[in-house]
Amino acid sequence: MEPSQLTRFEAAVLPHLDAAYTLARYLLRDEHDAEDVVQEAYLRALNYFDGFRGAGPVEGRSWLLTIVRNTAYTLRANRRPDAHATEFDETLHSGGSEDEHPETELLRAADRETVQRALDALPVEFREVIVLRELQDLSYKEIAEVAGIPVGTVMSRLARARRRLERAIGAATKERD
Amino acid sequence: MKHDDFAAQLDAYGDGELMGNEAREMERHLRECAACARAHERQRVLRATMRAQLPALTAPRELRSRVRLALRAAAGVTPARPRPEWRWLAAAAVLVGIVVGTWKITDSRDAANAVVDEVLASHVRALMGTHLTDVASTDQHTVKPWFNGRLDFSPPVYDFAGLGYPLIGGRLDYVAGGPVAALAYGRRQHVIDVFLWPTQRGSTGGPPAVTRQGYHMLHWSAPDYTYWVVSDLGVTELGEFSRLLRQADSTAAR
Ligand SMILES: [Zn+2]
Repeated sequence: MEPSQLTRFEAAVLPHLDAAYTLARYLLRDEHDAEDVVQEAYLRALNYFDGFRGAGPVEGRSWLLTIVRNTAYTLRANRRPDAHATEFDETLHSGGSEDEHPETELLRAADRETVQRALDALPVEFREVIVLRELQDLSYKEIAEVAGIPVGTVMSRLARARRRLERAIGAATKERD
Repeated sequence: MKHDDFAAQLDAYGDGELMGNEAREMERHLRECAACARAHERQRVLRATMRAQLPALTAPRELRSRVRLALRAAAGVTPARPRPEWRWLAAAAVLVGIVVGTWKITDSRDAANAVVDEVLASHVRALMGTHLTDVASTDQHTVKPWFNGRLDFSPPVYDFAGLGYPLIGGRLDYVAGGPVAALAYGRRQHVIDVFLWPTQRGSTGGPPAVTRQGYHMLHWSAPDYTYWVVSDLGVTELGEFSRLLRQADSTAAR
């Protein structure tokens, strides 16, 4: 590869290293795995670079995050072949009806540890839409692209992820007080 | 639309994903429906709590170097190595105990380039491996004495922590055919490597500022010491750091 092409590649994706690391870290819940996945994702991205036609930094971000996400899933699948099936069984750990809601004040009073635990406890498919939306501020269209799901699914998944978070945070904060 | 339809779209509305008519209809419904208004407020608080309590993370600085090195290796773009004859000369110089300054280097630009390569390679090697420091300490009075007996000079080590450039440590390195002091300072997540050796060893030349593969290098020769400063830090801050070094040196010399 020409040095100038590498420079172009780096300019498109290196600014998103923090975003890539954030996603990998929240998906894998392990800093070493996250680092390995980020490095691997950048190498994969380099291979696909010819196929990447987006010009702006924003397109570069979704494109890179898509590769990070898929690389993280590959690692998870290799580690624990049954992880996907188990975690996506939504009847597990649902803890109450979707119609029950905690007091808004309990959500307001939640501390960092409580929020972090509630997020970590979510199935990975729910966790990723929350991270992409709340930490990285991606639009539904961008989340759909990164997670490889329709926009309608982004909306319903986000909604359900939030109801679960509400219940978990509400319960933990109530217990604390 | 009925209440259930609006309720199902509340998240999308809160995320700014409803446009024009849809958003206006939702606003009207929220004024009329207490249940949706409560749900909307609860979602707003949850969103604010999530954003306030969950930090977006910063990649560790080693990861940045690791990724860049891996990319360069994969792309076949590797930092230029010192050419064999230079290495051979360096080794020979040590063996026979002659000093660098006595060499008759016919092409001084090549020699300067070789130093640039060596400094950069050493910096990158230190970042990617576990060998950033032989002596890791933020205390100049720990780092400076460590070089006693390891070098034939006593490198100046400064405390710039109060100015935002904390000392990380020091290590022994080998540049321009001789053992040199390498001092690591920090700036946020960036590492600044400072290579120095006595100017009396002879000039290696080299440009005062050069950028290679995203790393900036600044170089100067003071009466006492010859300096190379290298980092992926922005060139403005690296310049500021270099000025601090020069000022500290000239203050120490008085
Ligand atoms: Zn309603």
